[in-house]
Amino acid sequence: MFSDVTSVALRVALGGLSARQRATADNVANIDTPGFLAGRVQFEDSLRDAVRSGDVRRIGSTGATQARSLEPTREDGNNVNLDTESISNTDTVLRYQLLTQAVTDRMSLLRTSMRTS
Amino acid sequence: MGIEAVGGVSGVRGVAPSLASLPTGSVAPAGLVEQPAGSADVTQAFGAAMARGLQSVEAMEATADAKAVQAATGDLADVHDYVIAANQAKLATELTVAVRNKAVEAFSEIMRMQA
Amino acid sequence: MTIFQAIGVAGTGATVHRKWLDAISDNIANVNTARPTTEAAYQEKRVEVEAVDYGAGTGGVKVAGVTAASSAEGRLVYEPDHPYADEGGYVRYPDVDLSSQMSQMIMAQRGYQANLAVVDRARETYMAALRIGGGA
Repeated sequence: MFSDVTSVALRVALGGLSARQRATADNVANIDTPGFLAGRVQFEDSLRDAVRSGDVRRIGSTGATQARSLEPTREDGNNVNLDTESISNTDTVLRYQLLTQAVTDRMSLLRTSMRTS
Repeated sequence: MGIEAVGGVSGVRGVAPSLASLPTGSVAPAGLVEQPAGSADVTQAFGAAMARGLQSVEAMEATADAKAVQAATGDLADVHDYVIAANQAKLATELTVAVRNKAVEAFSEIMRMQA
Repeated sequence: MTIFQAIGVAGTGATVHRKWLDAISDNIANVNTARPTTEAAYQEKRVEVEAVDYGAGTGGVKVAGVTAASSAEGRLVYEPDHPYADEGGYVRYPDVDLSSQMSQMIMAQRGYQANLAVVDRARETYMAALRIGGGA
């Protein structure tokens, strides 16, 4: 019942978004650490390719990848930009709410069709 | 595109064929049947209407699913697109389920009368 | 891009205004930086910005570069007791106008706050969209 393309894609995306939020917290905590490069989480592109292929198993095994940002650094070697991180956090939180709403909507749709009175 | 509709709504889909195969005249209340020939048409028309309704519900659910996947991959430009599609699917499903339940209730009641 | 383009665009605006504020604070910190006449004076930093995708695409703003906005000669001040003074007793000071830097600072701060307000409003709009159909 829950292993169609949409359910699995939503699950993978939710996992990717929480990984992104953890990376943002890590970046902000290390905003003054010399030599620290900001961490970036990617999953949207590989998820899109997996969805286009239609293979549910491939979608389910799509993971979030972590990479270090190569943006220019300040004198102490740190390249964390507070504005970028707070915008990214706002965006991640909003996306997370939308996707959890999507999961809830689908479950309540199933529940509606199971009603007998 | 390879995106399936929600698999769990098969319970609704399964009702339409059984409605269409009801014995003639059993859907209309016993006291109001004037022309026995007309009630066969009523049954078939009702079954056809149910099938059409289910098709449009499935289409709406497929749209809502597609928008949800777009939101997951970050390609959704307008969030209200998804929310409106999801609400339309939900309302259409609720309407179809209510009609199905009423029809089944009416059928059971008539069967009780005849027994 | 962010899920609400307005948020991403406002983010670029906030970054640019913060960099402006950084440049202004550098100018103000160095307003009395003396140098010997053999060297160039401290030059006021100006942040050049340009629009991203003007007229098409997503929009936003970015820093095109940081240029020098005051002359390299600066002001020559007669201070014979200064360790940097040359034979004539002159020391080079930057040609930074403090009052203009203060008013720019207020503009940068207001710009930054305005961009953050856009992010806030966009977020509320988004939440309202999520609540469609939730009243029933």
